[in-house]
Amino acid sequence: MMTRDSKLVTNDVLKKLLAEGKPDLLWQHLLCRSQAATSFDDLFLLSRIRKKAIAQGFEATPTAENLRLAMIGACSLYPLHELVDHLLSVAGSPAELFTGEFDAYVTEILNESSGLYDFKPQVVVIVPTERRCKYLGHLADPREHFEMEAVRIRSELLDLCQILHQRSGAEIVLCNFKLPAYFDPGPYRTRTLGSDWNFRKLVNLELGLNAPPYVHICDVEFLSSRRGGLMSSDERAWLESKQPCAPDLMVDIAKEITHVVRALRIGPKKVLILDLDNTIWGGIVGDDGVEGIEIGGTSPRGEAFRAFQEYVLSLTERGVLLAVCSKNDYDKAIEPFEKHPEMALRLDHFVSFKANWNPKPDNLRLIADELHLGLDSFVFLDDDPVEIDIVREFTPEVSAILVGPDPSDYVKQLQEARLFEPSNITLEDSQRTQKYKQESLRKRDVPSFTDLSSYLASLKMTGTISEFRSVDVPRITQLINKSNQFNVTTRRRTESEITRLIDDQNRVSFSVRLSDRFGDYGLTGVVIGAIDRSAPAAILEIDTWLMSCRVLNRQVEEEMMNEIARLAEKHSCTEIMGVYIPTAKNQLVRNLYPRMGFQKLTETETYSQFSYELKTFKPFQTRIEIVRRAYDAK
Amino acid sequence: MQSEIIGRLQNIFDDVFLEPVVVTPQLSAHEVEEWDSLIQISLLVSIEKAFGIRFRVGEVEATRNVGELADLIARRLENS
Repeated sequence: MMTRDSKLVTNDVLKKLLAEGKPDLLWQHLLCRSQAATSFDDLFLLSRIRKKAIAQGFEATPTAENLRLAMIGACSLYPLHELVDHLLSVAGSPAELFTGEFDAYVTEILNESSGLYDFKPQVVVIVPTERRCKYLGHLADPREHFEMEAVRIRSELLDLCQILHQRSGAEIVLCNFKLPAYFDPGPYRTRTLGSDWNFRKLVNLELGLNAPPYVHICDVEFLSSRRGGLMSSDERAWLESKQPCAPDLMVDIAKEITHVVRALRIGPKKVLILDLDNTIWGGIVGDDGVEGIEIGGTSPRGEAFRAFQEYVLSLTERGVLLAVCSKNDYDKAIEPFEKHPEMALRLDHFVSFKANWNPKPDNLRLIADELHLGLDSFVFLDDDPVEIDIVREFTPEVSAILVGPDPSDYVKQLQEARLFEPSNITLEDSQRTQKYKQESLRKRDVPSFTDLSSYLASLKMTGTISEFRSVDVPRITQLINKSNQFNVTTRRRTESEITRLIDDQNRVSFSVRLSDRFGDYGLTGVVIGAIDRSAPAAILEIDTWLMSCRVLNRQVEEEMMNEIARLAEKHSCTEIMGVYIPTAKNQLVRNLYPRMGFQKLTETETYSQFSYELKTFKPFQTRIEIVRRAYDAK
Repeated sequence: MQSEIIGRLQNIFDDVFLEPVVVTPQLSAHEVEEWDSLIQISLLVSIEKAFGIRFRVGEVEATRNVGELADLIARRLENS
């Protein structure tokens, strides 16, 4: 089983295991080291240790029948083939390899009696060279010339793939072209499709967008940009031994080929099963309570968990099913999903929810029974290494991923396991296509904007207003103590003072959350009002009115004014009073009250007072759709 | 200088080769069974990394034994 995160041993330890004849441990460490290796000399040494172990009679237990894999290309395929052979072998999918002659791939494909066809390959990797992916005319030629040449190169390659596929039935992995890291021809490269940089990008796009289902692109352009252009190129290696690229980039290419080849043979993962505490939120809900967990805009850590939840949610768009497997009391475990406003994941996103104190492998088997799916289609994610070990021990079919310790790494850790990458098959299923069609129709309704109002309309903003609730207290407290600019009184309060406001009958307080078609801005506005019933007619005094600057110019303050007035009327007030206390930082709201229609009563250097007669109130029309109002009013 | 470099090469050879190889100035590739063109690539990558140098195109091929390789390393150390 993959143990991606177990400790990496040194070369000397591997050599010792080899000398002492301990195959099981050796294979396990070889796999871990090989997956972690990023440099050529490192991976190459691991490959030789493996070969020596086999020569000594150590048997690896292959989990699949040997795959017949051919590699052909326009460069030397040694030692690239060694790396691919090694990676497939340690991953449990050993291959029988055919390696083409230097720069003979075209004749090997066209000649029906070549050694390539005798080999009867199941998969063929083609490595062309970017040295021939060049536009040979002038940089200032008409654009159509570049495009025609790019199409010609694309067709030539894909035609070869088609012939090869028709004759052999093999799946094809086609490497695309590395981009050059040289400056020449300078910034002009961006203005023409004829520069090597742009031309290769164009050919790569042509290849990717036109590849038939049996052609799988090994995206060398991406891999070399990930590693860095300068570190990916090695002119000397080409001149001395016709290597396709710098030795270290060969590691990336070999890993990608291995990944693509394995994905062809191994079914995709279907279900992501999540632990809860410190996996999808910070803290332990059973101890800290729903108000105490870290999730959402209150803290950087909370935001990291929120981002992780959003990523997990986005996987459902690819058809991944979600489930929960957590050691918790069920009632406690579901509370954040039902009550916490910052949670991106909700109960109805899960096809199964196991929160109990039984061993996790038992729960995973139960989920498999419920869903009629094999454990081998499961990915389990937990921050606790002990739980991960237990799952690996008792349900080894499940891919268990340890996340942590930093929640800002969780998305990366899940992505780098590369278990939920969409394939052309999963993405093209008919239901999805249908849905895309509907969405593209809907998109036509989005107006193009020429002025501010239609711009705001295009954002499709929704606002949620709610009275102070205990789950929101940490975020409200944070805003109250942090906001300086859009803040009329800059009155600071502690968390317990905020909590006391919740049930205070003489107060009306609310918070506003805003979202638009680009995402959720979270809780970004706060108002605290006091109702003074001592006068003949009650007065609502605005104690605190603040907003986060990230939602400036979105008409949020107009909607807050609408809500203040609505609540004032509800409490039979005839007047709203507002004060502005100037500070070094809150010039932004000096004219907030007049802008909202208040009359100025007094103004000094340290204090201004404003008043609004409710009988003259007319609600502001905004582009925000308010989906909920405070004190549960719709 | 040469002997110091050969001392450091011994460490690199110990890491790269699986069978023990005693590095001497006279040693050449055809005397070591493991030393083929593929391991040569790996060996040179390791040497360049360890010494922080870069060989020029074609010059390693022209060395006939470890002694000449060590001299070449010394030259590259001087002008890097």
